[in-house]
Amino acid sequence: MTSIDAAAAVDEQAPPAIQPWWSRLMRDPIALFATAVLLAIIICAIAAPLISPHDPFATSRAVMKPPIWNAGGSWDHILGTDGQGRDMLSRLFYGTRLTLIIGVVSVGLGGTFGSFIGLLAAFYPKLEPWVMRLVDVMLSFPAILLGLALVAVLGSGVTPVVIALAIASIPDTARIARSIAVSVMKQEFIEAGRAVGLSDIALFTRYLLRNCISSIMIFMSLRFGQIILIGAALSFLGLGARPPTAELGMMASQGRDFLLFAPHIAVIPSVMIFIIVLATNVLGDALRDVLDPRLRS
Amino acid sequence: MMAQITRRLLISIPVLLGVLLLGFGLLILVPGDPATVLAGPMATPEVIAKIRTDMGLDEPLAVQFGHYLLRMAHGDLGRSLISNKTVVSELLAAIGPTAELMFASLIWSVPVAIGLGTLAAVLRGSLLDRAIMAISVAGVSLPIFFIGLMMIHFVGVKWQLLPFLGRGGPLWTVEGLRHIILPAVSLGMILVGPVARMTRTSVLEVLKLDHVRTARAKGLSETSIILRHGLRNALIPVVTLIGLQAGYLLGGAVVTESIFSYPGIGRLAVGAILSSDFPLAQGTIMILALAFILINMTVDILYALLDPRMQTQ
Repeated sequence: MTSIDAAAAVDEQAPPAIQPWWSRLMRDPIALFATAVLLAIIICAIAAPLISPHDPFATSRAVMKPPIWNAGGSWDHILGTDGQGRDMLSRLFYGTRLTLIIGVVSVGLGGTFGSFIGLLAAFYPKLEPWVMRLVDVMLSFPAILLGLALVAVLGSGVTPVVIALAIASIPDTARIARSIAVSVMKQEFIEAGRAVGLSDIALFTRYLLRNCISSIMIFMSLRFGQIILIGAALSFLGLGARPPTAELGMMASQGRDFLLFAPHIAVIPSVMIFIIVLATNVLGDALRDVLDPRLRS
Repeated sequence: MMAQITRRLLISIPVLLGVLLLGFGLLILVPGDPATVLAGPMATPEVIAKIRTDMGLDEPLAVQFGHYLLRMAHGDLGRSLISNKTVVSELLAAIGPTAELMFASLIWSVPVAIGLGTLAAVLRGSLLDRAIMAISVAGVSLPIFFIGLMMIHFVGVKWQLLPFLGRGGPLWTVEGLRHIILPAVSLGMILVGPVARMTRTSVLEVLKLDHVRTARAKGLSETSIILRHGLRNALIPVVTLIGLQAGYLLGGAVVTESIFSYPGIGRLAVGAILSSDFPLAQGTIMILALAFILINMTVDILYALLDPRMQTQ
């Protein structure tokens, strides 16, 4: 048999090439749209200082100006102005930026710690009952409650909110990380690693962590929408970012007083939160369908 | 099943301990001197000194924790710095309204969600199914304060159909009912999406099972198959989900009460924190944590009672 024949024979045996998950994801038009929307929002948030038409903190006498599509709107303030005459569009860019930063930092911090203890529980089965009990106890405190408690101690501000949201992300991530890691720990390469005398640290980082990290990251992205919602609710209650900072939940809360005459002040930031969370949730659902076909309905 | 329930009750012991630790931790972690914080900004040095000795603040932490547990056992949570009423009496006055609000939210949202979910499962793949699922994803993504603000804006202010401030009285009075509609609709809304989704998945799962096929073979009507054989079995995971959502509901109650100035625990908590009324803040946070634990425990026990498989084990 020539080498070409051998190659052909191998080819026939090989299963059909599996498409990478992202290419399957991007064939779903709704997921594609959600990704595009999220990307656009993220770019606007990053570029906030560059694209904002006005200073988001500069007050003016032109208070409660309606947005461009209502009677009396002008191109100078496309989304109108708020109760203190600040440009809504600029505040929206800055507010989105802070809201996203709060979400990313808290999911990042809480998720990292949660995955670490979840992986530890799978790696050292002796630790498992302790870690899981701790997680059960943590699950007993809803995020809003943690937020209230921390703000009661530290005073209102972005930091206590981030800490509360980070702590709230720990138990879920720990559970998921553990269940992913338990199945990885059963693989033969772990035993092989042990057999060649790898240290626990090497085994943990090179074999376990690397094989779990992508699944865990995807799970963390699913949590992002919920975390953003809770963070915005805390800010809305006046427990989060302090004025004059722009944060979407706080902007909505400030708009509350002008609901009758200038509903856009509360509606615009609320709708922005809705779009961010909806896009994240839609994308998360699509991601789960692609990665875990068993869950596909 | 008894073993299951006992186990559940045992698990809640460390959690209760956690709540007590949380309350104690709030006290120690607060920046500055706890006695000064508890006495409030207007207190004289004598009052502060008295609080310090009363609470044993000069003693080691373990002894302080003992004092704290003793006070808790006596139901002594201190006095509100603003109203000067005892924290316990403030809490007792606010529990009823919050329980009413939770009840009023669940009573409409759970049946509606289960109905929508079942409808979506039965008409799987239809336009209606897609619409219901789209609405439920959108519902999960809506900030709760937005729902509340829109209710106030349209129903309350523009159309002037319903009152939107405060509580009108107990639930069995007309004014009480009229006042609770808007908060209950806003709060219940956060449950509809997830519960409808879970019901749909669960019903679809059950309708695939053998006993449903047998029921079909017997020539039962489709309605009775879905209601008696499908939905009944499908509800078990739905009940669990409702329990898991209790935290969201409680958190949502905090926001809803604040928006509608509804005199429940949530508004009390936010008000206390914003006005640095520390004893009251501590009390409200602990009572919220306790409520959450009790709800979860009840749901777990209900689950053991509902699922016949648990009884045979």
